[in-house]
Amino acid sequence: MLSHLFKLIWNKRRHHTLLMVEIWFSFLVLFGVMSLISYNFKNYLEPIGFEYENVWALDLNKNQDTTAIAEKLNTVFQKIRSYPEVEVASRMSNNSPFSFTQSNGNISYQKHSVLADYYTADEDFTKALGMKTILGNWFKKADVVAKFKPVVINKKVQEALFGEVNPIGKIIGENQKVVGVIENFKAKGEFMDNSPCIFNLADDKYDYNKVLIKVKPGTDANFEAKLTKDIGAIAKDWTTEVSYLTDQRQNQHNFALVPVIIFLIITVFLLVNVAMGLFGILNLNIAKRREEIGVRRAMGATAGNIKIQFVGEMWVIATFGILIGVLFAVQVPLMHMFNVETSIYWMAIGLSIVILYGIITLCAYHPSRQAAKIQPAMALHEQ
Amino acid sequence: MIKLSNIEKVYQTSNIETLALNNINIDIKKGEFVSIMGPSGCGKSTLLNIMGLLDEPSTGTIAIDNKPVEKFTDKDLAYLRNQKIGFIFQSFHLINDLSILDNVEIPLLYRASTNKSRREAAKEALEKVGLSNRMKHFPNQLSGGQKQRVAIARAIVGNPEIILADEPTGNLDSAMGNEILNILLQLNAAGSTIVMVTHDENMAKKTHRLIRLFDGSQVS
Ligand SMILES: Nc1ncnc2c1ncn2[C@@H]1O[C@H](COP(=O)(O)OP(=O)(O)O)[C@@H](O)[C@H]1O
Ligand SMILES: [Mg+2]
Repeated sequence: MLSHLFKLIWNKRRHHTLLMVEIWFSFLVLFGVMSLISYNFKNYLEPIGFEYENVWALDLNKNQDTTAIAEKLNTVFQKIRSYPEVEVASRMSNNSPFSFTQSNGNISYQKHSVLADYYTADEDFTKALGMKTILGNWFKKADVVAKFKPVVINKKVQEALFGEVNPIGKIIGENQKVVGVIENFKAKGEFMDNSPCIFNLADDKYDYNKVLIKVKPGTDANFEAKLTKDIGAIAKDWTTEVSYLTDQRQNQHNFALVPVIIFLIITVFLLVNVAMGLFGILNLNIAKRREEIGVRRAMGATAGNIKIQFVGEMWVIATFGILIGVLFAVQVPLMHMFNVETSIYWMAIGLSIVILYGIITLCAYHPSRQAAKIQPAMALHEQ
Repeated sequence: MIKLSNIEKVYQTSNIETLALNNINIDIKKGEFVSIMGPSGCGKSTLLNIMGLLDEPSTGTIAIDNKPVEKFTDKDLAYLRNQKIGFIFQSFHLINDLSILDNVEIPLLYRASTNKSRREAAKEALEKVGLSNRMKHFPNQLSGGQKQRVAIARAIVGNPEIILADEPTGNLDSAMGNEILNILLQLNAAGSTIVMVTHDENMAKKTHRLIRLFDGSQVS
């Protein structure tokens, strides 16, 4: 039966090329969307590695001020810490959690090298964000005076540089000594790839703009106003901006998901188009092929055979389109394009195949059932 | 072999009721060659369709090999059509998108068979109708007589006991028509039971028995 269907479609291939091309194209677009969704979903399953509730990011903009920066920063920081509303305050580099700033570079150990995100943070960073080390310790005040610069790495860096070797105490890069390892730190939110990252210690001379503060639950905008006013009083020309990490997280999510949604909408439109085309072709086919239906019934086809035939023909057409699509799509993981785990693409290919066959079956089912219901004597009736 | 008792067929279209068959009683015996004649619209095709289990009578019973079929499901009927009956139509009803060989194979698609056995059987059937040199052709490359021979090959490929032919020579000139009749006579001589609708008295004379219909009723 299968070879019969293939022959039937092959002999009529010119009637079906448009549909095959449409299915091929839909497959590729679907593959793109599914790759994006799989990528984001896979990332989403990986914990971000820190707590952001009740954490605010203060952005201290010094504007044109160049005088006595270190002193002012120190006074401001002491002031921030002194409020009863503030549980923890921690100084860090501009690429604070959920910000749109990024900084990265290569780091190596012996023959291994990895591209990592760089953060600078002080000794209270893990307290502010509720993070834990899985090996060694987070920075201590005493680390500042050490001969080597202390660094904390995440598990991804550990895996890339050390494999099974214990990284604590090892010197990486020029003169950086690993003092601790943390699990994850997905600073751009849940949809970010769990990428390698390294933390440097912010010493007292560090010229920073960002302070993370963990406030007591229930702390509101009144405190925020007081805080900015008090900082303004210490450093007249500075402007302070307060962002809640929960809000910034939302922005990052939108940034990650809006393109997916737009792409998804386009895909749905395309698929609806294919579905309607398919539906139309089938209905037309069945109207034109009443005689054939009658003949097949007279020769012993059951109603079920007729239904299977029409659905099967659509499957054959789809298979041609999908097969060519898969040939294109597998190039992405095979050639390691985009530097993303290849399992995502295999999953996307699998999902696209299932979705397309699903849609085609759904569209083909009703017309095919109508075809199966045609009375053979009626179909063969000749005047 | 096929027994029709008190068959009546009424077609209901919007508000017009057509009595296509009225009180038909026919018993076709194994090995018989029966012809059916009657003016256009008198119910010949309807009768043949009912015999061939393609259509149901409004009242009356049909028995195939003494088994009444009214309780049969769609599957049972399809099985009987596939195993016992071969159809030949006035307008051939070949599938234009399939080669001659693929057309002839169709009945075998609906029973357990292998690609190879189907191929062999179809070639053999085409040989019997003298068309083994046209297997790779498509129906629109053939003349009417050739098309009908393909249709005969398709009807006999599954070795059915009964062949139902609805005006098989109706679209052919007399030379070609006689050729087709000769093939049918040979098949009958080889054991097939045949019921043929025809407009040609001379052809009817060559068969064992003639049933005449007029306005849905048997007149002889
Ligand atoms: N499917 C149908 N619907 C309604 N009327 C039909 C149908 N088939 C046949 N008829 C009517 O039944 C009568 C017998 O038709 P048919 O058996 O085709 O006659 P014949 O084959 O003898 O020319 C005709 O009046 C025809 O119009
Ligand atoms: Mg007729």
